[in-house]
Amino acid sequence: MQPANLPTIFSVTEDEIDLNDLLAKITLTSTGAAAIFTGMVRGETSRGDAHVTDYLEYEAYIPMAEEKMKQVADEIRAKWPIVEGIAVVQRIGRLYPKTPTTLIACTAAHRDTGVFDAARYGIDRLKEIVPIWKKEIGPDGSEWVEGDYIPKPGE
Amino acid sequence: MNHIKLLFFATIRDRAGVKSIEMDIPAEMTIHELKEKLVGEYPALKESLHSVLMTINREYAFDEAVVPNNAEIALFPPVSGG
Repeated sequence: MQPANLPTIFSVTEDEIDLNDLLAKITLTSTGAAAIFTGMVRGETSRGDAHVTDYLEYEAYIPMAEEKMKQVADEIRAKWPIVEGIAVVQRIGRLYPKTPTTLIACTAAHRDTGVFDAARYGIDRLKEIVPIWKKEIGPDGSEWVEGDYIPKPGE
Repeated sequence: MNHIKLLFFATIRDRAGVKSIEMDIPAEMTIHELKEKLVGEYPALKESLHSVLMTINREYAFDEAVVPNNAEIALFPPVSGG
């Protein structure tokens, strides 16, 4: 039993991600909890192939990316009907270490509703099906980062 | 003939050397056949083809799919957003 007007925000933007603004937009009078994931540019990587990153250059197939973000939000609502508001945002362009690049937030009445899992699912799906790519630029040159997920029919 | 628009992103755009092109293709051409035609015109794409993702009108499309007239087709590598 969901009201039809639950807030869902999805956008690809070149602007700074404004957490407070997004959070206000997905907070209802019935909301008591928000799970927020944000990813940022990591300047020094030690896990795996240790390296230094000067900056990342993001690009997106924007119309499709926003449609697929909407699909991710729909999937979250199907799995966790208790979720109230959803925000899925990706910043693109040239982004330097420590800069937030993406934000997934889900709100719900209480924290024990699956809202943490919902936000986790959101970022995982964004990394699978939303057409965005990043090029990593470091002291030794530049390289496109490629994912490894092959979408299936219907995704 | 069908008229289509093609968009290339990330590594695929770098290899093709263009962002977008328009072309006429035979009616009933499949995604698989279109891929082969593109490799003919852009040989540098050959090494990307094993992992390239393709879309028709902003939905993922697979080898057997038939390309409709006025389609917007995109080619890109597995995504890496976040």
